Amino acid sequence: MTETREKILRVEDVVIRFNLRGKELTAVRSASLDLYKGETLAIVGESGSGKSVFTKSFLGMLDKNGRVASGNILFEGENLAEFTREEQWLKIRGRKIAMIFQDPMTALNPLKTIGEQIREVITLHRGMNRQEAREEALAMLGKVGIGDAAQRYGQYPHEFSGGMRQRVVIAIAAACRPDILICDEPTTALDVTIQAQILENLKELQREMGMSIIFITHDLGVVANVADRVAVMYAGEIVEYGRTPEVFYDPRHPYSWALLASLPQLGEKGEDLYTIHGTPPNLFKEIKGDAFAPRNPRALKIDFEEAPPWFAVSDTHFAKTWLLHESAPEVEAPKIIQRLKEKSLKGLDYGS
Amino acid sequence: MSRYIVKRILQSLLTVVIVVIAVFLLLRLMPTSGYFTRDDYINMTEEMRSAYLRNLGITDPAVIQLQRFFAGVFRGDLGRSITVYPKLPISTILAEKVPYSLWFGLASMFISVTLGFGLGILMARFKDRWPDHLGTAYVVAVRAIPSLIYLFLIQIWVTGIMRWPMVFYEDRPVTWILPVVSLSLTGIAWYGIWLRRFMVDEENRDYIKFARSKGLSQKYIMRHHVLRNAVVPLVQYLPVQLLLTIAGSLIIESIYSIPGMGGLLVYAIKQQDNNLVQVLVLIYAVLGVAGVFVGDLLMAFVDPRIRLAEKKKKKEALRV
Repeated sequence: MTETREKILRVEDVVIRFNLRGKELTAVRSASLDLYKGETLAIVGESGSGKSVFTKSFLGMLDKNGRVASGNILFEGENLAEFTREEQWLKIRGRKIAMIFQDPMTALNPLKTIGEQIREVITLHRGMNRQEAREEALAMLGKVGIGDAAQRYGQYPHEFSGGMRQRVVIAIAAACRPDILICDEPTTALDVTIQAQILENLKELQREMGMSIIFITHDLGVVANVADRVAVMYAGEIVEYGRTPEVFYDPRHPYSWALLASLPQLGEKGEDLYTIHGTPPNLFKEIKGDAFAPRNPRALKIDFEEAPPWFAVSDTHFAKTWLLHESAPEVEAPKIIQRLKEKSLKGLDYGS
Repeated sequence: MSRYIVKRILQSLLTVVIVVIAVFLLLRLMPTSGYFTRDDYINMTEEMRSAYLRNLGITDPAVIQLQRFFAGVFRGDLGRSITVYPKLPISTILAEKVPYSLWFGLASMFISVTLGFGLGILMARFKDRWPDHLGTAYVVAVRAIPSLIYLFLIQIWVTGIMRWPMVFYEDRPVTWILPVVSLSLTGIAWYGIWLRRFMVDEENRDYIKFARSKGLSQKYIMRHHVLRNAVVPLVQYLPVQLLLTIAGSLIIESIYSIPGMGGLLVYAIKQQDNNLVQVLVLIYAVLGVAGVFVGDLLMAFVDPRIRLAEKKKKKEALRV
């Protein structure tokens, strides 16, 4: 089903390195992903797994000491990984690929009205005059669910609540009708009821404008709610990806197991909550074998020696774990994961 | 808003009155010999001296003297100088001296702000590159070296090389240049280093990151977001500095022999010219307080987050 759709972005084996006090840190180690037109792809993983850095590289927004060391980012016939000059990125940023960030409280200029901040992107990218841009901005504010847009247009960010500010940020990012919208934990800083509204809003905008969304989060509840496909990221690489139900109900990588098993909602009453022991690997050092092996109680011997290749679970579901090798021993998934599979057969609606 | 302004004006007036009373009372603690010029004091008999003092009104109770002083001020009569310019009305002294300090001050402030802002923008734009290092070196030099040293050197070298007169002549514009330049050196450094700092602060804010992701160019962001926001905290200080240019500069006015206000207060205190001290303190207090007040108003004008009226706050709370 996904295969027939148009691929809008192809990212191949991207390696991102940072220079920190003379030392090299490899934040993203050979990560690849495909993004289809109109879909929502969620990237999940713990803090420091490289989710944000990975997607920032699609916009040339890495910090000054960071660079894409190798790999390709193919978009509209161009390889963004080879961009070197600011002017090249200005053609992409905002108008083709836009991004919204985690904290809506600080994402807006406190001394400029909301109107000015939307209008400036519209005039820049869509070549409209002031009046047209104003009309467009008002329409955009309406679309993201800001009532009384005409009055709100002249107000400053401090006159908006957190949720309202995030709507404004979304309106700004969507105002130029980008092909891809990267949402970097857009609801993490908001309370749950607002979260749901914002997600609904994003979905509506997506339906209307047909853009693709990359959704970065560590909230699996949100993922289940919005994503068509999920990629699980650990220590700078993607370890499993597939359609959302596939990854949720039939995860194959031990890290995906651990991540899902840690969800409080999935635990049984009376049982201790599952936690992943240890810490993520040191990214200054070369990682040998499967990066998750030291924290994985079910790790095989080979996990410590050689990095696993991709194994196909289905046409759309892939995982990077030796457990899927034909000669691998039978390793049982944790109980919680097995229960998930049973629940999926009963058609559990996994909402947040 | 208007309620706030009225409140602030009343508070400012109170501050000024308290400052003036405090200085007034302190001056009464000084020995009365200071009210005489040196020769007068020596030549007068004890009786003549007390008659003279009585005549000046110094022997009256402090409250009455104070009342007299304020009454005079309200009539526009600032009194007369006693020892510095014996018998001369203080308003005449000010009318003669203030223009020099004011014009030099305004010229140097204009230069300080324009060049200082330019320096700050350049340093922020090329942070950690040579323009930044060069600017930092300048700022450190101006602040760390005692100003007398470089001000003297500038005076001696530049007048020597350019064959300009050493001191200020009112009818020779070429002699105006060095005092203005000298006056501006520290101002340029001050505006430069603070603007740089505020700009660098702003550049690292999240909304700048978001602005970049919107596709705005570096130049546009610098001009419309970074600079615009970095100027705000500086705006508050402009009125005070502008008003206090009247006070003149002690060092520069004395090395270039400019007959301005610089040093007048110090001189008046040394000569125990109570009336003059009194008036000068009053003027500086009024200017200082007014400057801070106007600065606060300006802040509210350029920063929408600052609301001056309490009433409006309540309305806002209701709306939320």
